[in-house]
Formats: sequence, C-alpha cells, structure tokens
Amino acid sequence: MNGILPTHLPRRWRNCDKIVCLVALALALAQPAQGQGSAESRPLHERIDALVSRPLESRKLIPAKLSSDAEFVRRVYLDLSGVIPTAQEARTFLDDPSPDKRARLIDTLLAAPGYALQMARVFDVMLLERRVPAGGTAVDVPLPAWRAYLCEAFAENRPWDVMTRELLGGDGSDTARGAAVRFYLTRDVNAHQLTRDVGRLFLGIDLQCAQCHDDPRFKDYRQADYYGLYAFLERSKLFPVKPKGALLGELAVGTTKFTSVFTAKSGETHPRLPGGAMLTDPALEKDREYRVKPGPNQRGIPVYSRRMALSEQLPRGETPGFTRNLANRLWALMLGRGIIQPLDLSHAGNPPSHPELLAELEAWLVARHHDIRGLLREIALSRTYQRSSELPDGSPPPSDAFAVAPLRGLSAEQFRWSLLQATGRIEAHLAKLEAQPKKAPAPEAPAWKQLADRLEPLERPSAALLTAFAGLPGQPEEGFQPTVDQALHLLNSEKLLPLLKADPGTLLHRLSSMEQPEPLVGELYLSVLSRRPDAEELSEAGQQIAAAGSPEGRNVVVKSLMWGLLLSAEFRLNH
Amino acid sequence: MMHSQIPKSDEYQTRRRWLTGAVGTVAALGAAPLVGAAPVQPRKQLLLLFLSGGASQFETWDPKPGAKTGGPFRAIPTSIPGERIGELLPHTAKALHRLTVVRSVVSNIADHFQGHYALQSGRIAPGYPVLGSAVAKLLERPDDVLPGYVSIRRNGPKAYTDVGDAGFLGAKYDGVKVYDNLPPQNLVRPAGITTPLAESVERLRRAADARFRQRHDGRPIESYEATYQQAAALMKHREIFDLAGESSAMHDRYGRHEFGQHCLQARRLLEAGVTCVKVTHFDWDAHQDNFYWHQVRCAEFDRTFVTLLDDLEQRGLLEHTLVVVTGEMGRTPQINNLGGRDHWGRAWSMAMAGAGVKPGVIHGATNDLGTEVTEDPVTHGDLFHTYLRALGIDSRMDYTIGDQTNPVADPAAKPIEALLA
Repeated sequence: MNGILPTHLPRRWRNCDKIVCLVALALALAQPAQGQGSAESRPLHERIDALVSRPLESRKLIPAKLSSDAEFVRRVYLDLSGVIPTAQEARTFLDDPSPDKRARLIDTLLAAPGYALQMARVFDVMLLERRVPAGGTAVDVPLPAWRAYLCEAFAENRPWDVMTRELLGGDGSDTARGAAVRFYLTRDVNAHQLTRDVGRLFLGIDLQCAQCHDDPRFKDYRQADYYGLYAFLERSKLFPVKPKGALLGELAVGTTKFTSVFTAKSGETHPRLPGGAMLTDPALEKDREYRVKPGPNQRGIPVYSRRMALSEQLPRGETPGFTRNLANRLWALMLGRGIIQPLDLSHAGNPPSHPELLAELEAWLVARHHDIRGLLREIALSRTYQRSSELPDGSPPPSDAFAVAPLRGLSAEQFRWSLLQATGRIEAHLAKLEAQPKKAPAPEAPAWKQLADRLEPLERPSAALLTAFAGLPGQPEEGFQPTVDQALHLLNSEKLLPLLKADPGTLLHRLSSMEQPEPLVGELYLSVLSRRPDAEELSEAGQQIAAAGSPEGRNVVVKSLMWGLLLSAEFRLNH
Repeated sequence: MMHSQIPKSDEYQTRRRWLTGAVGTVAALGAAPLVGAAPVQPRKQLLLLFLSGGASQFETWDPKPGAKTGGPFRAIPTSIPGERIGELLPHTAKALHRLTVVRSVVSNIADHFQGHYALQSGRIAPGYPVLGSAVAKLLERPDDVLPGYVSIRRNGPKAYTDVGDAGFLGAKYDGVKVYDNLPPQNLVRPAGITTPLAESVERLRRAADARFRQRHDGRPIESYEATYQQAAALMKHREIFDLAGESSAMHDRYGRHEFGQHCLQARRLLEAGVTCVKVTHFDWDAHQDNFYWHQVRCAEFDRTFVTLLDDLEQRGLLEHTLVVVTGEMGRTPQINNLGGRDHWGRAWSMAMAGAGVKPGVIHGATNDLGTEVTEDPVTHGDLFHTYLRALGIDSRMDYTIGDQTNPVADPAAKPIEALLA
C-alpha cells in the first residue's frame, strides 16, 4: 500500500509522510482564502477557531453558543488556577460590564502564583502518575523539593525543552534542579518502565507492545524502536545514598539485544530515537570509559553518558513527536481531549482529528521556544475554548469535533481545593493568617512559595479527600471515572465532616448570619457553583429555608443545601 | 460422584430468596436469575484463590516421591484412578475428579512482583488489568449495582501482593478491597448525620442533577449518578460483608483461621452477585523449612478448598463459577541448605474447577526430577486466555476504552482448548 512512496524509508516514516503531505497540501489550499500573509499575522487563537470551525460546517455540526460568563469564570479558574473562584471573585467578574474582561481575567490568572501551583500539580500527576518507588519514599526525592522544582519552572515559564532536558538528563546531584531526577526514581530506574514512559509522556507514543514483538496493531511501532529508546536508558542504575534519597549511576558498557516472541527474530541496537538515526558510542580506550568507576559504594559516572545523549537529542523541535506531544497535551488540558487521542497513541492508524490545527500549534511552539504559558493563553482566548457546555440541539456531537465544551471530571487536586474553596475554608484560613501578628518580613520568597506555604496547613485535613479521588498509580488520568469509594467518602466519611462545619469565616458561618433567603441562596450558589441561582432554584431553596422554623432547623436546611450542591454533578464536573 | 456434606439450611433458603428477587432487589443487584421468571442465564463468576509467595508443586499437585528433588512426603492416590498428588492434600485428593490440574506451567518468572502481575494479567508488559478487574469489566451488565470485583486479603505488608489492579480500565474496576474481613470504608452513616439530613441532601443532589442534565451531555452525569446508587446498595446490603450471618457450623466447616474465614466471605459475596472475588492465601514463600511450612499451609488450604467447592456446588454457584488456584510461581526442585525451596518459574502447577473447564483432566507433565516440562507447556498468557474462554468470553476480542482498543488477552498466547468444557 506504500508502493508509491520511497521504499528506503522505514515504514513508520512512509506512513507519516502521508499525513505531512496532507497537512502541507491543506495549508497550501487554505492560504489564498485568507489573503496574502494574513494567516501569520492573525493571532493564534483566531487561527485555532478557523481551523476548528471549518470541519464543523462540512460535518454539519452546530457549535454551542459562547459560554455564559458564569460557565467561563468557573472553567478558567479551574484550568488556570486549579480551583473554583471565591464567591467574591465570581461576583466581581459577573458584574464587570467591560467587553474585554475575559482576556483580562486570563492574563491575571496566568500571572498569579496560583498558576504555578496548578501547573505543578498537573505535571506532577502527568509525569509521575502517582507512582511510589518500590523502595518507598526513602529512595525518592522529597516531595517538597519536587514540588518546588515544578512550581519554580512554571512560575518562570521555563521552556518545555529545557525542562525535558532537566527531567531526562539530571542524575540528582545538581543542587538547584536535582529534584527533576524524581522522574527516574519513582520508576525505580527500571529501563523498561522508563522506555515506555519516555515514549508516552515526551513523544506521545506508547511502545509497550513493541517490548516483546512488533506491535500487531500499529505498523509504526517496531520492536527496534522500543529497544533503540531502551538503549539510552538501560545503563542507568539506582544509587541509594545514606541516610535518605538516591542518585543515578550509569555504566559505560552494555549492548542491547532483543528477540521477538512471535517470530523469534532477534536484533541488536545502539541508542536511537524512534524513527531517528542510530548513535554510536564514542570509541574510548579501555579503562578510560569512566570518570568515576562504579564500585560497591561508588556511583558510576561514565565519560560518555547515553542518558545525557537522550536528554540532548530528544527535546528538540525537529525530534518527531516532541513538540507535537506538548501541543497535544496542553490542548487536552484545556479541551478535555487531545487532537490525537489517546494522548500517547500517535501513529499513522490514529491520525489527529485536526491535523492542520496540530501543525499550527506545533509550529507556534517551535517558533516561540516551547512557551507553555503562551500557548495556554492563546487556547483560553479562543472561541473554541470559550464555548458553552450546553448542547445546542439536545444530543452531544462527537467529542473530536470540539463543537461543545466537554464535561470533564475535576482532578483529585481540583476537587480537593474546590471543596475547600466552596465551603469557605480557604478564605477562613487565609483571614486567620492575616489576623495573626506579622512575623518579621521573610526573605524575598517567590510569590508561588508564599502562596504554597500559606495553603499548606489545609492539606493535612483534606488528605483523605485527595486519596479518595486520586486515580490509580501508573495510569494516565484521562476521562471521567467516578468510583463508589468516592461517593461513599462524600456521603459518610468522618474525615469529610470537619470540612463542612460552620467554623468562623466559612460559608455556613457566613450564611447563618443572613436573614433574607434570597441573598442567602445567592451567596450559596456563587460560593459552590460560581453562578447565581435561577428563579426556580431560588424559590425552591427559599421555601425550604422559610419552612425550617427554628434557627437550628434553618441551619440544618442550609447545610443540606450546601452538601447537596457539593455532591452534584455540576460541582463534580468542569463544564 | 462426590456428594457434599453440607445441608441446605433455612438460613440459606432465606438468603437465596432475598437475592432472587422475592424482595424485589434482584434487578438492582443483577445477580441470580429470578425463580420462576423467564429464564435468564446466570452470569458467569470467578473466584481466584491466590497462593501468594508461590506454593511448591512438589508438595501439592506434582509430587516426585523418591526423586532427589522430591522431598520427604509421599504421593497418595486420588479419585482419578492412577493419578496421585501430595499427601498434604488428602481432601483435595478425594475431589481431584472435579478439578482440572495443569502440571506444565512455564512462566519463567522467578520474581514476586513480576509473577503476581503476570499470573493475574496474562502479560509481562505493564498497565493491563488483572483477571478480577478484566472479568468484572467484560461481564458487566448495565444494571449492576454491586462492585464487579472484590479482593479479600490480610491487612499485612502489601509490597508485592498488591501488585496489579485495573490498569487502563480505571479506578471503577480496581475492585473493592476487603482487609481482614472488615467491610469497605464509609458504609455506615456517621453518628452525627441524621436520617432527615441525609435524605434532604440526597433529594437536593438529585434535583440539582436533574436540572443540570436537561441541557448537558447526560453520559458523565449518569456515570456519576451510578456511583451514588452503588453506594446506596452497598450501604443497604452491607451484611454481605458481615460473617455474623453465617452459622457457627459454617464457620467450623470453612475453618476458623484467616484463609477459611476469607473463603467464607468470598462465597458470601459470590452468592450476593459480585462477579469476581479474589482471596489471597499468604506465606507460601518457603525459602527455609519448606516442608514444615507446606504442612501448615496445605492443612489450611486443603480442607477449606474442598469445603468451598462443596458449598458452591450445593448452592448452585459452581456450575457458573470458575475457581482458579494459582500462585505467582512454583518452587525450585533443588532443596537449599536451609531446607527451603526457592523461586521457580520453569515447570510448575496450578488448578481450576467449576464453570467452563473439563473436570478430571490432568494437563501436561514434568520429567522425573520435576526440572523441565515434558508435555504440553503452558504460559501465563495461555492460562489467561483459558480463564476468559471458560467464562464464555472471546479471548481474542479487544477492549474499547474511549478511543483506544487493546486486546483483552496477549495475542501471542492462546487458550488451552483441551481444558475447555
């Protein structure tokens, strides 16, 4: 079937060439319609909308209308700050009459310290997938150091290629950014696990089946690709240090051989990125291969490090899949699914839903040095992102059309912080800190660090909530997967009850002092659902409050109203 | 034909009626067929008895008395003429004609972590669901309310025994964990929450969801709703986790030790309609004093196992329940200088009974020293295919999860046709 394509190319590239050609052709065709040179001069978010809208017409799909301000404010806070807005923040936005308020809010959130915390949480889960090393936390990077590494990187908007170099190249000995080695340590420096995850998380390809044989499903995934990547990693070893922690050591020798379980055909490989050229180790004289020779208590440091070679070769715009993977993952973060979906199954048989769009995002990232914050800003500004999640004609259109905003489950982290926000516990806690006598001004800690430190005391009381909602270790958290354990936690957990108490400064405390049902219900809805109640909701809730009688009875009704909304699908979903 | 000693008690009849719809719960539980109603095929079920640490095939299914690798125990005659198993399993020997034994497992894995994963998922490559999760998913019915998979174990050191879960099937199929026979967490409403408050919360939640779904995609809203229904069902029927409902005689029959009590719990859950149950039997990893340890372990296993088979049969469950007995590996032919046997994946044994497999079949063989398989080698991948087929599942099909398809069993392996009924 590839007869017309050059046969000297590996099959994977012959297949992919077709897509590249199609993209080029489509782009060429698209140019004249937009007027000369205009495509480049238009901002990316407008090009995003053009490329998403065009196929809607041919597929005869009606896109949803623009989101309401209430939908938008909740969504953009969740996506860029990881938590719903406070009632006051929601109210301020809803009541702001200025036409550019959405763009201003996006910029405000992207510049706020909460952005770094949110992205650190997202990338922590994406990169480590909630793994714990087999040797326990004693052989891992301490959690605060890892968090600080991520927060600092996102606060300064460190380019993704630089971060990738740190994540893949470091051995843990660097004092400033050594925490990046956690990517290796939580995987026990297991070369097979790492091969799979480097492919999945940095290139968007899952070579898992190709470990044992050429993947019968996908012509692109060859066993030789798997072992080419494996060869970069297999010499790296875990080197525990006393009393705690671990570094990476590496051998200077070792060849990579493999045999197919299907065909019994075997091969041998040097390091090679999937689809790339094979690297040969530099010829070194015997006994000159090591800077530090490995021994019983000696961490091996080779003169030539294959892992270092990986960290230099892989994070480049020209590495097939590297930038595309980032573009696709950031898109999925904002739109609920990738342009290639699943995120780690990029291959010829699973083409992108919008190839031109993906190519645009990729080119934009390459031209702007893998600017994560910048791309998120453009996506957030797009009309595509700002669509309503309400169905235009009653039935959900295919999710790969991006015609309607998706209903996405909140991550465990979003759910935890949003529940603390909705119940007013974050505000109550921060107010308490404000009221405390000021300590001597701390040495200039970065803004993200100050925020993280202030929020930290809220983590322990909500730890059980996070655990109940966290996904399985080692699995990507895609799609909405509610479980019965979560429902039982929300209904019956003794550990949840303290979070719902009417302590001073919390939502219930605030509501208990409000006389009139109408403002009370308004405050409740703004606090929990970031919107105002509609007439029906107002009258139903108002009647229940009015029927309550005694102040105690009224408190019970208000508590049940709050709890009911916290259990609702509207609260559980990012919509 | 062996007949069970266990009488049909009144208690059993009552439970059965409840479960079969006399009180109108059968549709919600999706378990057994309605008595007298239109015949509904009972769902196939799975019970996995996992001998964690790795039982010795020499002391159980494949004895080699007299060989230098054989150890001190004799082989005894069984209910299959001419076939013998280890003398530590006298009750099982009398029931052998009801079992399907494989003496030719070649997994080549001598590591606990890998073995636990591979023997439960049928693969080495990570990320796949284990048997209980897979079958829970593959046999799921839309009106299911009880969880599809429950794993019963000691709340001891988890390490390798917790390897394996729902993989890419996601948390919903990870199964409910029952530790030390305690019910799952949060099944009881906290003391401070009154019934009117809880009911009011539930009413408000439903009203909010009904409103929200008018204009939104109903699918995620319904799957969230389903978790509340499951929660309500578990709270309502939490007695399925309460062994106090079992008679003293029943406790005695199963054995008043950890494994016996866990198996009794397993039967209770199977009877209530849980699709897959796993019981982990610990402490088979006998690197020292292998023969002492196997006396202890086999004594527990032997009587409980046969009691369980009888009880399942008596209750009409065995005909649609596949029972699998395996560990993550076997043990070495060599006896080390501490009297132990070490990790071994080259030639070892496992057994099955119940739905979908041929009773009274001994499959495969090893050489006189038990060091190599000489007939019909079988891999963990082949076993996985076989379990699925025995449960009526086409093992060559794919999962379709979202946009991703994945073969349910390793395409490089195949079912053992000779064992399938």
